[in-house]
Amino acid sequence: MAAPSTDITKLVLEPIDPLALAAYVRGNGDGAMVIFDGFVRDHSKNRRTLYLKYEAYEPMALAKIQEIAAHLHNQFPIHRVAMVHRLGRLEIGETSVYIAVSAAHRAAAFDACRYAIDTLKCTVPIWKKEYFEDGSVWADGELPSAPSATSAVKPAS
Amino acid sequence: MPSVSQSIRVKVLFFGRLKEIAGRAHESIDLAPEADIESLFARYASRYPELQQYRSSLVASCNQEFVPWNTVLHAGDEVAFLPPVSGG
Repeated sequence: MAAPSTDITKLVLEPIDPLALAAYVRGNGDGAMVIFDGFVRDHSKNRRTLYLKYEAYEPMALAKIQEIAAHLHNQFPIHRVAMVHRLGRLEIGETSVYIAVSAAHRAAAFDACRYAIDTLKCTVPIWKKEYFEDGSVWADGELPSAPSATSAVKPAS
Repeated sequence: MPSVSQSIRVKVLFFGRLKEIAGRAHESIDLAPEADIESLFARYASRYPELQQYRSSLVASCNQEFVPWNTVLHAGDEVAFLPPVSGG
């Protein structure tokens, strides 16, 4: 099942507007909304972070985010989903990812929101570079699982 | 090198540190028919030896889907070597 067209799934360069997204996601038939607001921390492994830059394989990242949203509707009795990830340079405290899920009851909203951020972090092709006073590093990440090799493996030449 | 008539052209994308190593975000490259993603990576690793150390910590995609490294390529495919993802 595809995600309902009423969901919001986006990659954006401009700051994320949490209030607008929350207002959109909650409906009168809902009794709960769970929000995950991920934002830029001022330190990483005991180093002071100056800012972050995010980049993405944009069409694939958006498709993967939309797959996650569709999966939420299949797995959990929820109403609406917003999943927005920001790209480019982000300053300390700015929201990098915002996920809101509404539902009639809280359990589904909690479960779906947790599933959404956990799955995003290990499957969506987005990369973060951390900038410090004395240099920059690509953040450690999660390697997405790919289908295993098919039987028609050709030996390496 | 295969002649033009025998080769296939694919688009290759680089992200994160791979983009820095390759010095570019994408390029088109001509391959022998039946070339797979592993052999494509080997070709880049010979051009940019620094890439080889990352082979075990990459996942491959073809046409925006995660795929095994032995996936055989076809003309017009869009291939990417993806480092561990760190969104969120």
